[in-house]
Amino acid sequence: MEIKDLRTLVKMITDTDITEFEMENAEEKIVIKRGPEKEYVQFAAAAPAAIAAPTAASSAAPSVTVTPAEPAVADDKYETINSPIVGSFYRKPSPEADPFVDIGSVVEVGQAVCLVEAMKMFNEIEAEFKCKIIEILKEDAAPVEFGEPLFKVERL
Amino acid sequence: MKKPAPRETILSLFSQTPNGFVSGAQISTELGISRTAVWKHIRNLRQAGYNIEAIPSRGYQLIQSPDILMPEAIQAGLECRVIGSRVCCLDATDSTNLQACRFGDDGEAEGLVVVADQQSSGKGRMGRRWESPAEVNLYASILLRPAILPFDAPQLTFLSAVAVCRAIMSSTGLQARVKWPNDVLLNGRKVAGLLNEMSAETDRVNYVVLGIGVNLNMRKDQFPEALRYPATSLAIAKGHPVSRLDFTRSLLQEIDALYQAFLEQGSEPVFEAWQQLCDMTGKAVRVDCNDLLIEGVMAGLADDGALLVRTATGKMERVYAGDVRPA
Repeated sequence: MEIKDLRTLVKMITDTDITEFEMENAEEKIVIKRGPEKEYVQFAAAAPAAIAAPTAASSAAPSVTVTPAEPAVADDKYETINSPIVGSFYRKPSPEADPFVDIGSVVEVGQAVCLVEAMKMFNEIEAEFKCKIIEILKEDAAPVEFGEPLFKVERL
Repeated sequence: MKKPAPRETILSLFSQTPNGFVSGAQISTELGISRTAVWKHIRNLRQAGYNIEAIPSRGYQLIQSPDILMPEAIQAGLECRVIGSRVCCLDATDSTNLQACRFGDDGEAEGLVVVADQQSSGKGRMGRRWESPAEVNLYASILLRPAILPFDAPQLTFLSAVAVCRAIMSSTGLQARVKWPNDVLLNGRKVAGLLNEMSAETDRVNYVVLGIGVNLNMRKDQFPEALRYPATSLAIAKGHPVSRLDFTRSLLQEIDALYQAFLEQGSEPVFEAWQQLCDMTGKAVRVDCNDLLIEGVMAGLADDGALLVRTATGKMERVYAGDVRPA
């Protein structure tokens, strides 16, 4: 299923009172569950699925994270910071500037870790929790997909 | 509803009066203030550059407004639902985008417009500067808080490009064109540059800032020698200066209307309008994507706003970030 269709599906479901949704065909299986405790989408497909760190679920707004059916990262000691949009990943605010973060950097909540640009919309990605950068998963200026992990981090 | 400032009320009285005369008594009643206080407001407006004549037994007449950007003048009688709910005009600033982002971080409501007479570090892509001399152009940033997913926010890029083209048409009659994603061209030369910023969490947009720079009355000698893309201004294209105030008001109204359409109907109306303003579809283009150069024929917009380019091998490339120029 295309990300676009998945998005439409999630939107449709979050607009209703449906709390569980399952769909399966030859290539993929989609499970969407909603509730105050667990709010997530499972998306198992032949293509590599996007990975996201669990986010704090708010009971008011429908919150959605994409998690793989079979986790690609075996050690759950680490979490990832993911791209909320499709675009280009930049490690620096401008080509001459220093990178926002490096491996080993400790970042505070709300601190910018990178930029993702799509169609001249610049999105400064901020850390949603205090963490240490373990690995930078993308090259500077590389294209990134929606939900794709950008950094492997250790929550502090 | 916020009560408008006395200045704003007086200016809108002038704009609503067909014969141009507004009596002191009328202003006094409208504002609930004394005739002396009215006289003081008129004096302040004159000091701000408004040419107001007082004709005995007929009242005040606004002969000419100065072409300065002031909140009262921008907001008076503005037909907007959201945009311009608050207008902040600065003489000089680093970048209106930075200022608008600061307002956004501080929880300011959507619709805020930040305008500066000049910018010391107007922003372009890839750390480039947007040339921002004083008194001639428009440098504005608009704060929005749409209830959409971050994934969909880049589509707003096309909204401001269409709005700028429409404002150019209504204030000069000139037909501007768009270049992906949101450059605005007049006769193939860049007349406006738009750059947007977003603050978002995984599943919600905190705010979006639409940054808009339009070359209105910039003269040839004010352009830097080395420009990446040939540039022009409305005054150069038209042969005479345009009113910054009228242009700004017209632009805000166009953005407001398109933003309402976007919230109600999604990106389709905006994309449709954008495609009609783009004359590069079907033509050969070169797209500079950082280290990668894509050459091919522009096939149009994908449903999320990505640029579709068909290369010589027949492959369809989707571009999310890059500089496009005719090949």
